[in-house]
Amino acid sequence: MSEPSGSVTAGMSPTLQQADKPNRPDWLPMALVIGLTVVAIVIAVAVTPKFLTVDNIRAILRNAAIVGIVAVSMTPITLSGNFVSLGISQSAMAAMVSFVALVGTGMPQVFAIVLVIAGLVAVGVLQGAVVAAGLNPVITTLAAGAIIFGVVSEVSGGGIVRAGDAPLSWGGSTVAGIPIEVLVFLIVTIAVTLLMSRTVTGRETTLVGANRPTAEVSGISFTRVTIVAFAIFSVGLAIAGILNGAAFGQATAKSFPDLTIDSIAALLVGGTAIAGGQGSPLRSAGGAILIAVISNMMVLNDFSTGGRLAVQGGVVVIVVVVLDLMRRGAFRR
Amino acid sequence: MKPGILTTLRPYFLPALVLAVTWLVIASITPTFRGAASIFSVLEGFSLVGLVALGLAATIIAGEFDLSVGSMAAVAAVIAVLCEGAGLVGAVLIATLAGAALGAIQGTLIGRLGINSLVFTIGTLIFLRGITYILSDSAPIMIDAYEITDPLLERYGIFSLSSLTALVMFAIVGLFLTYTRWGREIFAIGGARNEAIAAGVPVVRPMAIAFALSAGCASLAGALAAMRGGSAAPQNYEDLLLSGAAAALLGGISLYGGRGTVFNVALGVAVLSVVGAGLAARGSTASLVQLVTGVLLLTVITIEFLAGRLRLEDTVFAGLTGRRARGSAGAGS
Repeated sequence: MSEPSGSVTAGMSPTLQQADKPNRPDWLPMALVIGLTVVAIVIAVAVTPKFLTVDNIRAILRNAAIVGIVAVSMTPITLSGNFVSLGISQSAMAAMVSFVALVGTGMPQVFAIVLVIAGLVAVGVLQGAVVAAGLNPVITTLAAGAIIFGVVSEVSGGGIVRAGDAPLSWGGSTVAGIPIEVLVFLIVTIAVTLLMSRTVTGRETTLVGANRPTAEVSGISFTRVTIVAFAIFSVGLAIAGILNGAAFGQATAKSFPDLTIDSIAALLVGGTAIAGGQGSPLRSAGGAILIAVISNMMVLNDFSTGGRLAVQGGVVVIVVVVLDLMRRGAFRR
Repeated sequence: MKPGILTTLRPYFLPALVLAVTWLVIASITPTFRGAASIFSVLEGFSLVGLVALGLAATIIAGEFDLSVGSMAAVAAVIAVLCEGAGLVGAVLIATLAGAALGAIQGTLIGRLGINSLVFTIGTLIFLRGITYILSDSAPIMIDAYEITDPLLERYGIFSLSSLTALVMFAIVGLFLTYTRWGREIFAIGGARNEAIAAGVPVVRPMAIAFALSAGCASLAGALAAMRGGSAAPQNYEDLLLSGAAAALLGGISLYGGRGTVFNVALGVAVLSVVGAGLAARGSTASLVQLVTGVLLLTVITIEFLAGRLRLEDTVFAGLTGRRARGSAGAGS
């Protein structure tokens, strides 16, 4: 209520309503992520000789791919000042279930892919429109996620949806030794990075997040930027769901249980500012890879589930705090 | 100007209406959902979702958001089971105080660092989940001395010991927030943080208290549930964030911060409880409850948003109609 215009940041800390988004060299956070990844790799190689084998690197990238695709495609939402989605798991799950179900009916896979992407974009744009109207994005996506989960569970009866005997073997295939999902991760990262840095809409997205009043005075539409960001995000969610659907040939309403938290963690560890205006899809990809490297290292050293989660959570807390201090420290100078 | 009784009761109209309509609809389609038994099951909802919503409300009033409540409840549940040797009251008390202490540390750090609470609590969400797995050795754990949990299974008319505990907690938190200086500070930093700071209100203390409340209430909820069921599992309570946030917001805790009372939370919890208990009595699935929760949440935040718009026009036309603008009522004191 300190901002009577129905601010989208409502309910969140007023500190992030303030202009702590300066125009500063962007390399600092990226350097931190790359530096941490290098340190993690050096430690990993020192303790675990088999870390730097082709097979293991492939495994790391495979683990980073799905989370990476989602984190990269969510970055425009965060950049535009709309925080993050809390309904990621449910949307990706809806894509996975509907892809498998459509393929199971005997529909050609290309049609199924197009249909799933179109469906997800429709649902995403709807959420984008609601958020653009001024509703809180975090709560809107939390509610939408619950609705999507409820609808998919009711329709699928809570059971396993199978693709039948449709040829989905491409889901686990490799191209020139590179797993298909890693290749898609690479393509999505390049595409979203170019979209954000080389197109007018992309630059407008960052501008709106950095300083919304100024951007709006300059004639940039917050509504359009928000809806485009949600559309890009939805394509990423659809791709993640389709890839996993193709890899497993079956899906349930409980697929992707940890995707929401993991992708937000990757995005934040990558150094994209939660308040918007600062960050890049490339960094989110870096965040996903960093987390995958650390988890892989712990798996190779027989850490328990709890130990892995605790270390991962600790890394997230420390990295986001350091990034935040760096951002504001540099601002004061 | 002395606010009239209608002005005082105004924030409760909408949630009370939603509660009445929901109760009527559920009771009319569910023959088994009648009388004292239905009131008992609605009150039971206060001991899990209700307590979580109560704590979350404190952080929302402070203008923040605590994503870690689900993990916090899970940690506390495991701690309570591990401490069964201390007896029922001892175990619940140890778990609750441990949670509250963690929350106070979390709040202090968020306040001191000035970091966005969404960013910080997503890290602690993962970290605490890891701790839960470590403490429980990655498997569900049981209480050996079953008899110590017997008092929780007794019924006293429409109450049980756990719903009574929850209601007492509601009363304590309500009195604390409304009538103590430390409680009012939470409203002040949520309603208009910059103005509050300028007026000399400290930020760290109310922040530490708000997060201690949210963690403490979530822990009490988790500990009570674990003692009632005689077991705790490390993967439990991931959905508590949705139902807790939904209950608080349904009841009319303002997402804009600084507004709302425990009566709001109680009304919201009652609505969700009626939906949950009513649908369960019909044999509906948990996913349908989530679906309805999502729809209700989206509806209520839309209404709150539209009402905010209307209030704004109120302000503009206040001079013409002679009506008092309500735009700033309830912030701080």
